[in-house]
Amino acid sequence: MRSWRPSIMTLPRRLAPYARQFGTLAVLVVLGIALTILTPYFLTVANLLNVAQQTVINAVIAVGMTYVIISAGIDLSVGSILAFAGVVLARALHAGLPVPVAIGAGLAVGIGCGVVNGLLITLGRLPPFIATLGMMSIARGAALLATDGRPISGFGSGFRWIANGQLAGIPVAVVLLAALYAAAHFALVRTKFGRYVFAIGGNEEAALLSGVPVRAYKIAIYAVGGGLAALSAVFLTARLNSAQPIAGLSYELDAIAATVIGGTSLMGGEGSVIGTLIGALIMGVLRNGLNLLGVSSFVQQVVIGVVIIAAVLLDTIFRRRKR
Amino acid sequence: MNLRPSLIAPAAALLLILAASGCGRHSASQGSTSEKPVIALVVKTLNNPYFIEMQRGAEAEAKAQGAELIVQGAEREVDVERQMEIIENLIQRHVRALIVAPSGSREIVPVIVKANAAGIPVIIVDTRASATELAAAGGRIAMFIGSDNYEGGKLAGAFLLERMHGSARIAVLEGIAGHETGDARLSGFRAALAGHPGMAIVASQPANWERDQGYNVFQNILQAHPDVNALFAASDLMALGATEAIAAAGKTGKITVVGFDAQDEARQAIKKGTMAATIAQDPAKMGAMAVQWMMKILGGEKPPAEISVPIQLVK
Repeated sequence: MRSWRPSIMTLPRRLAPYARQFGTLAVLVVLGIALTILTPYFLTVANLLNVAQQTVINAVIAVGMTYVIISAGIDLSVGSILAFAGVVLARALHAGLPVPVAIGAGLAVGIGCGVVNGLLITLGRLPPFIATLGMMSIARGAALLATDGRPISGFGSGFRWIANGQLAGIPVAVVLLAALYAAAHFALVRTKFGRYVFAIGGNEEAALLSGVPVRAYKIAIYAVGGGLAALSAVFLTARLNSAQPIAGLSYELDAIAATVIGGTSLMGGEGSVIGTLIGALIMGVLRNGLNLLGVSSFVQQVVIGVVIIAAVLLDTIFRRRKR
Repeated sequence: MNLRPSLIAPAAALLLILAASGCGRHSASQGSTSEKPVIALVVKTLNNPYFIEMQRGAEAEAKAQGAELIVQGAEREVDVERQMEIIENLIQRHVRALIVAPSGSREIVPVIVKANAAGIPVIIVDTRASATELAAAGGRIAMFIGSDNYEGGKLAGAFLLERMHGSARIAVLEGIAGHETGDARLSGFRAALAGHPGMAIVASQPANWERDQGYNVFQNILQAHPDVNALFAASDLMALGATEAIAAAGKTGKITVVGFDAQDEARQAIKKGTMAATIAQDPAKMGAMAVQWMMKILGGEKPPAEISVPIQLVK
């Protein structure tokens, strides 16, 4: 408790580790200002809540991706896990199971897929790219098998409250997202788990030699990644009132993009959950803004690509100067 | 020197967004100052020539009617969530009216309800919104404009029946399972073949509306069923992919290929003889009629619940 009580004297020092996020945050703020000038429809409460809701799916997956990437790994299977967990959740709901049980079943599927990823990477010694590439195909196929390729739709209002409900005027999904990020940030910067994630990504050999149970923690990291992909499936299914076996195609790339825009290094050992949230918001605001402006769909794709590259490029320049 | 990069970043972002808005055909100032009603057409994707035709038809009609048209689509035809986001954003932009070709018949319903709540009329084109889901959610659409896909499938089946003299080993390339459009085409096709035991469907596999999948899936079917001599693909893109697989197998001309949509490339393939027939929908007319009717609806006229755009065989 003692060390993180705010004090004016220590504030600059305490903020120093977050200096990395200021650049990213500035991009987000300037995007916001530019859009406010360019269109009267951007800066309204309804639209900002709209953007927040649209960011939820990507932001939830991206939390897990941030842990994975900080540990110097990668997870390509999250989009497929989302689909698989979603259809299991949907089948459980249609089978008449209570909502919490059905959600539990979906999350269990996600965590299970993540544990398998972790086992393949640790015990099987597969590179994360290969293990999760395989899982990407397996989970997608399982989702198609479980549904015969057809969407499962139509759920009760109790379940859909997750997407449609409001708490004090704020969408439930956005409140839950804020809570998730607070917890994820705390776990990364204040717990043993977080320290080990950084240690493994910074130098796995050194972590192992200094007594970090690397295998167990790696399995846990991928389990968290799979579990969060399943959690995003809960939000997506409630939002669309439908679970599709082809849902989440290429969502792993969106999550990687948000993580990288947020300043997490693909080399591992460096990164933050808050940066990832800003990264996900930049992508959400950009898509929203380009829609509001009526920019052609083709131009939108170019712009989003340029922003991803520009954000990482700026980051690289920034680091070089610091050294 | 930590300051400099943090200034570059926002400056770059500002430049980018300005550049992007410059590239857009409809700048915000146009939208807010002109008296023209702003109508949004949201298609499944603009990576498919079918929807580009629809866009052309709608744009020409909007120009003639003095309306401003915004056309948007997701990167992927199957991305129902992205389509929902686009429509939500257009609702925030206060468009006067929405014309939507749904990526998912059921997944489109929640956002129709949102448009209803915002008082924005919705015309659904091409692919129906699920009537049962709409009723359950209390959603309303102004009207549906589309082709009769079931009739189109029947036309394709009748053509094959005649061309093959009642005896064929048939392969079918399906669209994405559970999509109303593809299902209607296939059930029409099967209905036309019912009662003709010589017309045997030996394989029926999804190729998800995509050209490369049409190639691969048909190549695989040929491995399993080398005796296949007729193919019905639920879209031209899949049929065109399959014609390449047929050419690679050296079987061009030995397999009668029927597609759907009558895209330019398919019409050329028919002239070249790599395809036998396709079913002509008229996406441009669909787009134009949707804009025409939307203007009438905005003018207070009450539309019919449904209009069919004529469909015909091209061979």
